[in-house]
Amino acid sequence: MAAVEKLSFDVLVVGGGIAGIETAINLGNNGLNVLLVEKDLTLGGKMIMLSKVFPTLDCGACITTPKISEVARHPNVTIFTNTVIKSIKKQDMHYFKSLLVRNPRYVIESACTGCQLCEMACPVVVPDQYQYEMVGRKAAYIPFSIACPRVAAIDIEHCTLCGACERVCPPKCIDFTQEPIEFQVIIKAVIIATGFNLFDPAQIKRFQYGQAKNIITAMQMERLLAPTRPYNHVLRPGDGKIPDKIAYVLCVGSRDRTVNNPICSQICCMYSIKQAQLLMGALPMADVTIYYINIRSYGKGFEEFYEQAKGMGVNFIKGKVGTISEKENGSLILRYEDICTGKLKEAEHDLVVLSAGVLANQDATGFFSDDRWEKDEFHFARQNDLFFNPALSSIEGVFLAGTTYGPMDIPDTILSAGAASMEAIRYIKQMALKI
Amino acid sequence: MSKKIGVYICRCGCNISDYVDVEKVRASAEKEADVVLAKTMVFACADSSQKEIINDIQNGVINSFVIASCSPKLHLPTFQAVAERAGLNKYEYVHANIREQASWAHSDDKEGATAKAVQLVRAAIAKVRFATAIEPIEIQTQQAVLVIGAGVAGMKAATSLAKMGVKVYLIEKEHFIGGRVAQWDVLCLTEETGKDLVTRFYNDVVMDKDITLFTGAELIESSGSKGNFKVKIKITPRYIKDFCEKEKMRRAIEVCPVEVIDDFNFSITKRKAIYHNFPSQYPLVAVIDMKNCTRCGKCEKECDKIDFSQKEKIIEIDVGSILVATGFDPYTPRKGEFGYEEYDNVITLPQFKRLVAINDKELKWNGRQVKTIAYIYCVGSRQLEGENKYCSRYCCSTTICAAIKAGEKFHDLSHFHFTRGIRTYGKQEMFFYEASKQGQVFLQSFEDEPPRVMRKNDRTIVCINDILTNRREIEVDADLVVLVTGMVPRSHGRISEILKLPRGRDRFFNEIHMKLRPVETVIDGVTIAGACQGPQNVVEAINSALSAAIKSYSFVSRDTLQVEPIVAEIDAGLCTWCGACAKACPFDAVTQINLEGKEIASVNMTVCKGCGMCLPVCPVNAIQLKTFSDDEVEKMIGVLAQEL
Repeated sequence: MAAVEKLSFDVLVVGGGIAGIETAINLGNNGLNVLLVEKDLTLGGKMIMLSKVFPTLDCGACITTPKISEVARHPNVTIFTNTVIKSIKKQDMHYFKSLLVRNPRYVIESACTGCQLCEMACPVVVPDQYQYEMVGRKAAYIPFSIACPRVAAIDIEHCTLCGACERVCPPKCIDFTQEPIEFQVIIKAVIIATGFNLFDPAQIKRFQYGQAKNIITAMQMERLLAPTRPYNHVLRPGDGKIPDKIAYVLCVGSRDRTVNNPICSQICCMYSIKQAQLLMGALPMADVTIYYINIRSYGKGFEEFYEQAKGMGVNFIKGKVGTISEKENGSLILRYEDICTGKLKEAEHDLVVLSAGVLANQDATGFFSDDRWEKDEFHFARQNDLFFNPALSSIEGVFLAGTTYGPMDIPDTILSAGAASMEAIRYIKQMALKI
Repeated sequence: MSKKIGVYICRCGCNISDYVDVEKVRASAEKEADVVLAKTMVFACADSSQKEIINDIQNGVINSFVIASCSPKLHLPTFQAVAERAGLNKYEYVHANIREQASWAHSDDKEGATAKAVQLVRAAIAKVRFATAIEPIEIQTQQAVLVIGAGVAGMKAATSLAKMGVKVYLIEKEHFIGGRVAQWDVLCLTEETGKDLVTRFYNDVVMDKDITLFTGAELIESSGSKGNFKVKIKITPRYIKDFCEKEKMRRAIEVCPVEVIDDFNFSITKRKAIYHNFPSQYPLVAVIDMKNCTRCGKCEKECDKIDFSQKEKIIEIDVGSILVATGFDPYTPRKGEFGYEEYDNVITLPQFKRLVAINDKELKWNGRQVKTIAYIYCVGSRQLEGENKYCSRYCCSTTICAAIKAGEKFHDLSHFHFTRGIRTYGKQEMFFYEASKQGQVFLQSFEDEPPRVMRKNDRTIVCINDILTNRREIEVDADLVVLVTGMVPRSHGRISEILKLPRGRDRFFNEIHMKLRPVETVIDGVTIAGACQGPQNVVEAINSALSAAIKSYSFVSRDTLQVEPIVAEIDAGLCTWCGACAKACPFDAVTQINLEGKEIASVNMTVCKGCGMCLPVCPVNAIQLKTFSDDEVEKMIGVLAQEL
């Protein structure tokens, strides 16, 4: 590893999703120097992956990219992608010290023009994690067309070192000699905006996810509906058929004690209703059925959006699905309790979408060793003074933004990012007075 | 300098290119005079595309440009910033909306959508030929913020702003602070009561020398724009001087012969004409309610601080930003709605919460002990017929919490919840779980069959066809029926008109963008926080308050601010002052002045919003709007009217 580089900033923002981006912009606009760290190759988090957002039906990419662009060119914000946090330690009352490791892309970032010739030349194909593994990508690749930075990277795990990319790269920016670079950063405050993980439905065996070919997650459906979609059409992955009877199974991994997640994920009802509306547009002849326990359309404009979906002909069935089994033709039989009639029923669908829930991303646990980083019983970050300072974590000077402290939708994430920024600025001002 | 126009046509992923043949649009644009470059882009707003445009400008290929993409509401600032970063003036770029106005509007007619996009782009090119550099108007900012409403959201916003070194004027319409939270005894997720929480906020407010708090205060007038608003506040006196002795005050209240309905307890109790809500309610001085006071003089004999000579005051202050946190009112059911005001044991959720708070040993209503409680949900929310279509968000959780806490305080209560599907979102799900575990009964009605409240043998019966037990008809004989009333925007007098703040169909204040800009409004410099924007719980309101505070701070943190220079201009030679423009102006930006002996109209550039209302009413055509001159608009119309 190369020698440690030393840097200092006012605030370290961990996580380059919408919460981290909004926080960094807020802080930067108010004159603070910010280091925004993202572990992935690109900014954007989960939001950049979304087709459209509820209930405005704005295109997800269209409203995320301007924010990304704003943060990327902000004079007060420095961005490290592909970078992991090793540790964050409080030095004294005023400072934290953080160790970061910036992993190599094996591409000289400043020289890459994003021409994608390396991508075309690379002979290795692996599942594309940005399309949730529905299509392939190369080992030399740009994550997606609106990635930021829009710079290639080499997936060294899968690369065969054949050298094809090196030969075609016009600015000769492929560099296999790159090594991880360690940074030591001194900051005054930290914002944790590490987001959430999606529940892996394969854990629920009776749903057959990963076994049956035509069961996908809602995030995969987001990709099928997005402007930068993998197939340019909504197709079921098993055989490429255009589906005409689509089922949504809600509360997959939420409100479910059998998988240790008793809480509601807060967003699944709404994203499923949104997808159902989009499917009615993309496949006008298709039937869409949503199997639910309770529809939780609680936010501004949500109930009206739910009513709109009903008006469009989306079929809502109150009942929890027990099992899903695959037929020979790839279609699926859902066995469920129809609560309105009290009967056990079966229904056939040719594509099943599992609305997977929100789980805590516990990355931050590993950042802090000396200081008391507390979590709640669901493994989300604990808010130290819920009603008075919702953004405050259990460590003074460390603030929380977005789904770090619980499931929430985009507007709530924006509000929590605003709160975290305000609290961080206030904290730094007060600390400055104490010196 | 001759125009070298660049035209960038966005595919918007496929949002545009699925319906508009962008290549055709590009080819047509390329043929226009002065156009030196025409390109299509996957996402013009993406960082890499922005860089490409900047390169074209900095390499001297173009010196003005047209972006044909989505609505300018979304991306006008994005591309204005591109122009500026590349060294152009932001008005040297013109926007054509070919998504909302072409591809999305005509998704059934690809040829038509393409033809319309071609026309729109040509019109934009016609306009950009006129484009010149215009410098923004600079104004001196007032480094102060007016916060309207001293509930938890307003107080949190005020203290945060003050800690940033901003002078804050916090005004509260009522004579006591704390808003709705002061009225809640039980809060979800904490042992702290609403009263305790409000006390903490209040202590922060009064300890800060940068916050000036006015109670009994109402906004009555506002003029100016972001960075520099002039506002007038009307202050109603308490008729009692400060530093009144506690004992004297207690006696003064005791002797008051007038009893009126106590709004603080949602009319379940009475108060005097001289009153405070509870002993620790802030400010600690009581107030005389002059509407009901008979001036009998009894209180004056008990307390020497009573002062009927106090007068209503109007003060004027200058602020750079206004933060509105006026909160909500609980919905008031109609007479007869689920037996409300028909049967004496039907009350609302806020009344129930006060009842639990003020009863000590036994839960009693109208002198009778309460054992069985029926809660009817979604009263005034999710209305199929009425105008409140929205869900009030907080009621499911708060009702379940209130039921749990009531059960802890008074033993042997039976709870029956008549729901429309419980919405304890997120971690609040645990309350639902806890209540179910305790044996509280949850029933659910069909959407078209709400529960019914009726009288049988002098008892109040709630009846439901229950979804969860296969449409079984279930009757509950209830000692108390609690109508779970939702939120409606707090009646805030004329604030909406005074600040020209738009409200949504749900009558809550409207934000700029529901997703990404939830606390900013279309009125620059005015932000909204808490439940005046839509139903929210306490934590959400605090987050929203802090967010609004940081946005308000950005209007006052610098000495000067720039405002849009797209304003109306008066041609002094043509103007004969008839006053028609002043009458037409919705912002009071036009005034009469005397210029070298001639009476003419004058536009206050910092107040003018460039709406153009004054232009058509001018009988001598003496007004032009910058960047929308008659010439420019006529050329655009000419192009649009041309056959392809």
